[in-house]
Amino acid sequence: MDKNAGWQWEINANQGWFRFNLKEIYQYKDLIVQFVRRDLIASYQQTILGPLWVFLQPLLTTFVYFIIFSRVAKISTDHIPPMLFYLPGSIIWTFFSDGLTSTMFTFVQNAYIFNKVYFPRLIVPLSYVLFHSFRISIQLLLFIAVYVIFAIGGKDIHPNAYMLLIPVFIFITAAFALGCGLIVSVYTAKYRDLENMMQFLLRLFMFAAPVVYPASLIPEKYKLIFWLNPLTPVIESFRSAFFSHRPIPFFYLGISLISSIMVLLLGTVLFSRKEKQIMDVI
Amino acid sequence: MNNLMIRAEDVSKYYRLGVLSSGTLKEDIKNWWSGKWRQQTPAVTQHKNHIWALRNIHFEVNKGDVLGLIGKNGSGKSTLLKIISRITLPTGGRVRGNGRIASLLEVGTGFHSELTGRENIYLNGHIMGMKKKEIDRKFDEIVDFSGVERFLDTPVKRYSSGMYVRLAFAVAANLDPEILIIDEVLAVGDSEFQKKCLGKMKSVSGQEGKTILFVSHNMHALRNLCNRALLLEKGQIVASGDPEQVISQYLKSGEEQFLGNDYSLKPAMPGNEYIRVQKVELVPEYIQEHPFIDIRTPLRIKFEFWYDVEEPGDLMAGIHLFNFTGEFIFDLTSGRKTFQKGLLRGECLIPGNFLNDGSYYISIVFIRNATIRLFYLESCLSFDVEDYRENGSWYGKWPGIVRPDFPVTLSALSGA
Repeated sequence: MDKNAGWQWEINANQGWFRFNLKEIYQYKDLIVQFVRRDLIASYQQTILGPLWVFLQPLLTTFVYFIIFSRVAKISTDHIPPMLFYLPGSIIWTFFSDGLTSTMFTFVQNAYIFNKVYFPRLIVPLSYVLFHSFRISIQLLLFIAVYVIFAIGGKDIHPNAYMLLIPVFIFITAAFALGCGLIVSVYTAKYRDLENMMQFLLRLFMFAAPVVYPASLIPEKYKLIFWLNPLTPVIESFRSAFFSHRPIPFFYLGISLISSIMVLLLGTVLFSRKEKQIMDVI
Repeated sequence: MNNLMIRAEDVSKYYRLGVLSSGTLKEDIKNWWSGKWRQQTPAVTQHKNHIWALRNIHFEVNKGDVLGLIGKNGSGKSTLLKIISRITLPTGGRVRGNGRIASLLEVGTGFHSELTGRENIYLNGHIMGMKKKEIDRKFDEIVDFSGVERFLDTPVKRYSSGMYVRLAFAVAANLDPEILIIDEVLAVGDSEFQKKCLGKMKSVSGQEGKTILFVSHNMHALRNLCNRALLLEKGQIVASGDPEQVISQYLKSGEEQFLGNDYSLKPAMPGNEYIRVQKVELVPEYIQEHPFIDIRTPLRIKFEFWYDVEEPGDLMAGIHLFNFTGEFIFDLTSGRKTFQKGLLRGECLIPGNFLNDGSYYISIVFIRNATIRLFYLESCLSFDVEDYRENGSWYGKWPGIVRPDFPVTLSALSGA
């Protein structure tokens, strides 16, 4: 009998660094769809307002920002109507933050499934990010509706053709969130301390991105490091596309695209390498 | 034509317990630091907190085989299934195989309580690796098999546990893999449904030529379903082949050693200044050709102890029996009697056809003048009682704490 040929699969202890298998993930695409569906259905079960929360959540946040940062702290909004200034920042930030916090608990929250059945583990974080991408798409429609209302109301706002870059903005944010989430998930599985730390770091990180203030507020000497945050060019470009108040920062947007893809790649490699070992420590 | 479906070669699995998986960053940094400092690589075999869950496992499974995995809890059965199911990695060795595997380590994995039965069929099917088209094609069959047709659009959180299990197994049973891995799923469901499941398993292996790997503690089901069996003990295969032989070796392996504790051979006997226990022993009165404890076997408990009380007074001993969940089954006491100092013996007979199958342990209490507890020897003896049934097609766990053989009769009061 031929000992080496004729086997369809092999399980052994070797874990190469580049073992992730995109073809296999594609084969499980139905499962991704199903997971997204499950999350959509389950997230608004037994709530009175149901899917309306997708809209209410950014509106309420924006309102709070408006009161605190615009009215009380009187922070500049770059001559953009405050509501319109905060809304995209808060939507993009929430997308990043939700994407990251959901993926970083991949192992902890799915241990009961991972312990019982095999499928490519990457499916789960991918489905989380897709779920949040779906939400942000709807929220952006809300933004456009509010924008139109302000425009009709006579506000002096001018969009431009760079609005077409919105998918790129979503992609960068998603890739960055997923990449960070994958990296953190590997460690939260083992060190539960990180959960608390991440909540704190995320809150801090929000103030490192131009969510509640414009980038023009940053002093010259911190500019470079501030703009290297992949979220900064995304949020600023988004505002530029809708308010034409500043040119699109293409240079930093390019860097942001490259760095978030790198983070995603790093996360994927690390995740794929560790996914099976983690099952022994959870 | 190569008929081999799975070949495991030298498979080992090694778990780290305790410190290394303590789950806090501080501990790990400490370990890492001390490891660096001492310039040591953690020596695998020397470490106290490591165990080999599996060691050098070799076996082959042919097409159409129903292979039963037998062993006590912690013998490595589940770890082996997990490795073959690609849930955890082996530490060494490899498993190679042909054909699609479906693992049923649990029924209803990934069922979401907020979703309806219909949605869960799809979700669960996808998790098990089915494509949408496959599920569409088999949907009616699944619903039919489960018998929950009327509740298909009800969230499963409103299902009874029986319905839930039926639906879950129905998805699994229609998976259509070449290799099916099943871990102890027969413990659930009502008898009618169990019959259906076993029937399905039989037809899957027999007519469709599928290969099944099957873990169970249910000897009755194993005897009926498997054509081969493996006996695992402490992570190693100690017997393989004909299920009947492997099963009886498994049952015997528990009994061959001395059941009990002979403390006289040890440096110190448990006890105190009044009582020192020398020996506790379980002597089963085996039924011919069945050298293992099953529900029919009468069990004699014997114990010997040194009694060292000078003052006048009486002594009473009590035997406490608990099952593995810690439920107190009974408290038997001897009569009160006066003794001189010296070696005493106690004895008690638990008749056959009294205990249900399961694991038990006993403790012995020594009481003076009916009120003063001289000594309590906790869990000094443990034993397992196996199931035995003459016939019948029901393989589920017999319910109840005890299982006496009191006659129940039926008779006709009037003709038709």
